[in-house]
Amino acid sequence: MEQPDATIHQPLRLKIMAALKALPDREQIEFVRLKALTGATEGNLGAHLSTLEQAGYIDVEKDFDGKKPRTRVRLARAGRRAFEAYVEYLREIVDASGSTEKPR
Amino acid sequence: MPLSSSEAQAALRDIAKTGRASATTYGYRQASPHLIVWGLIWAAGYGICYFRPQYGVVWLPLVAIGAAASTWLGWQSKSRTAQTYDWRFLYTAIAVLAFILALFAVMPPRTDAEISAFFPILVALFYALVGIWTRGARMLFAGIAVAALTLSGYFLLAPYFTLWMAVVGGGALVLGGIWLRSV
Repeated sequence: MEQPDATIHQPLRLKIMAALKALPDREQIEFVRLKALTGATEGNLGAHLSTLEQAGYIDVEKDFDGKKPRTRVRLARAGRRAFEAYVEYLREIVDASGSTEKPR
Repeated sequence: MPLSSSEAQAALRDIAKTGRASATTYGYRQASPHLIVWGLIWAAGYGICYFRPQYGVVWLPLVAIGAAASTWLGWQSKSRTAQTYDWRFLYTAIAVLAFILALFAVMPPRTDAEISAFFPILVALFYALVGIWTRGARMLFAGIAVAALTLSGYFLLAPYFTLWMAVVGGGALVLGGIWLRSV
């Protein structure tokens, strides 16, 4: 990968993808939990989720939990592949620089 | 524009940090209903044993109900994801059972209170180990709390130990489960 994936490259979208990737395959996460994990505002998170959904990287499901509206998000296969490729891209940059510091 | 090495490192750190937090939160949510179920089982079992000591056998159906509920919760969770059943759970249960049988063969408990204290301490050890290995501070705290409550009841409130375990031990597990869910 010569250039970073512009969709994932944005810091908040990268956090969203990292949070989703840490879950078991096909597991969903609720919007409110994702908001807490990423520290994003509701509007900001919603906008970035739309971008990721349009790219086919995530699946967004809206339904009702009783009478409460609920939004749940899941990593799509294309998103998983794109995220893994992006992480590989980052590792290649670090490796190429010969840095010995490992991310904690 | 390509990233610099330090930017790439910072991004990798962010990914690792967010991924860890997400995995921990997920683990808490998975553990939460199990703690609540076993808190209720403890409350019922110890409560019955305090008020009707001759009905100690009640633990057999209660443990069977708890095990069935935990298995059902586990299958519910697995059915939502692409995960297959991890046989290491079964092997772990067998190893723990073998450990308990071997321990009791070598050092048989002398009183009902010793048995009543042993299992909560064993459970507390598991919570603490899970907390340490998954970096789940809340699980670690739940383990320490259950062990501390059990030991304080055993040594300081011996005549009321089973009642203590019903109310405080069972209550701590239920509250711990609710607390994990609140993350």
